[in-house]
Amino acid sequence: MKKISLILSVLVLSLGIAASAFAGEPQTRLKNGVDKVIAILSDRALKGPAKKNERQAKLRAVADSFFDWRELSRRTVAESWSKYTPKQQEEFIAAFSELLEKTYIRKIEKYNNEKVNYLREQVDGNHAFISTEVVMKDKKIPLNYVMIKHEQWMVYDVVVEGVSLVKNYRSQFHKILSKETPEGLLKRIRDKIKALDEGKNVDDVVGKEG
Amino acid sequence: MNRQAPAAEFPRTVLRGLSGLVAAAVLVLLCSGAAGAAAPESAKVSPEPAAKPAGQALLAYGDEDIWDENGQVIKKTAQGEKMTLADAAANTPDPLEGWNRMWFTFNDKLYFWALKPVSQGYAYVIPERPRLWVRNFFHNLMFPVRFTSLMLQAKFDAAAVETSRFIGNTAFGLGGFGDVTGDSKPFRPIPSTEQDLGLTFGYWGMDNGFYLVWPFIGPSSGRDTLGYAGDYFLTPQSYLNPWYWSIASKSYDKVNEVSLRLGDYDTLVEASLDPYEAVRDAYLRLRFKRMND
Repeated sequence: MKKISLILSVLVLSLGIAASAFAGEPQTRLKNGVDKVIAILSDRALKGPAKKNERQAKLRAVADSFFDWRELSRRTVAESWSKYTPKQQEEFIAAFSELLEKTYIRKIEKYNNEKVNYLREQVDGNHAFISTEVVMKDKKIPLNYVMIKHEQWMVYDVVVEGVSLVKNYRSQFHKILSKETPEGLLKRIRDKIKALDEGKNVDDVVGKEG
Repeated sequence: MNRQAPAAEFPRTVLRGLSGLVAAAVLVLLCSGAAGAAAPESAKVSPEPAAKPAGQALLAYGDEDIWDENGQVIKKTAQGEKMTLADAAANTPDPLEGWNRMWFTFNDKLYFWALKPVSQGYAYVIPERPRLWVRNFFHNLMFPVRFTSLMLQAKFDAAAVETSRFIGNTAFGLGGFGDVTGDSKPFRPIPSTEQDLGLTFGYWGMDNGFYLVWPFIGPSSGRDTLGYAGDYFLTPQSYLNPWYWSIASKSYDKVNEVSLRLGDYDTLVEASLDPYEAVRDAYLRLRFKRMND
């Protein structure tokens, strides 16, 4: 009996090692990025409001090296993307990524040692879909990443509980673009960043949209 | 003393009047919901849906998506149909947009001016652990909604697991405050037990009908409103007497819930250019995912 259980445990252990070793290139890269973010967030030297700017700059640098902002912007603006000149496209990418970083970095700064489980990796050509879950105190939140490889594997969409970031923005942009020019949309993003920088109340910003 | 009698009578008559109104509304919705449920069936059969709202093609853009939101490989359908079922759900018509936007703004103010400060103060005073107990208690209390929905969806294994969780948590978790069964996994994987009647109607094939925002309750749809009305009668707190205890207990549940999720709604609104649209899309997609979990 002892022998069997020993063999079994060895088998299970080796399977576990094999499974982690076989994580493909996209997942390894994603995990690398997530681990870097967690390392910054758990770094004692970077904690506290005094270090806010330094910490956020570091997080932004990590985000920039793991997100394909061009792919993300192109997909959210969708059909109207070609209405922007190449220069405007660059401006759009810069503004939109700044908005996303500003708001979502603030959100992930509330990170409190939640564990991230990597559930499944699917690769098809230069696209990859990684399913993960974040274990919160009272529930698990499914968090999926869609990646693309141009030079390197980069994330271009994040899906939280079935809500895709790209598609959520696409429906907003579509609505705005049905009434306004592409330049108008770019201006709206910049206004929003400005409002956030000025530390306006969130509801003031909301009121303005109404 | 005599004077007080009509005063006590007052809420009851109001309530009776209200329940009559609710019943009428439910009936109306039932009819429209049934019509809505019948419509997509015919649409599925005919190769080309009759009226496609503009902008549908936008939902899947560029290189065709290989996976849907949950990582399922999208089966390529005929005629270049690019929408996934989740996209179709997110594309639910919004004929009452002006009206909905008004109540969205109302709810938004309600959140930032009342619900959020109250929840923050509450979270400041009460540590997280007791708040999780309270959450467990209210979650356990909602067992009838989940059980009924699972039975109506013929998910008997999940209903059985949910029942044993309810019994276990009620008996050994001090009436539901402790989630003693949370760590025990069923032998076989079961579908998600977080179901309600709106999701059940969806599971049966009824579509959302139209998007609808209610004051206080928040985003909903024709179908989910119908479900919500049914859930009301399955919620034990609804039967608390007098009526304001029912409201108070539901409000407390809400404040406690928000205190555990402070910032989630804020981020969504803060990061979006059209918060109304962002919440609408998120609500419809989240409900679609819950329905299929």
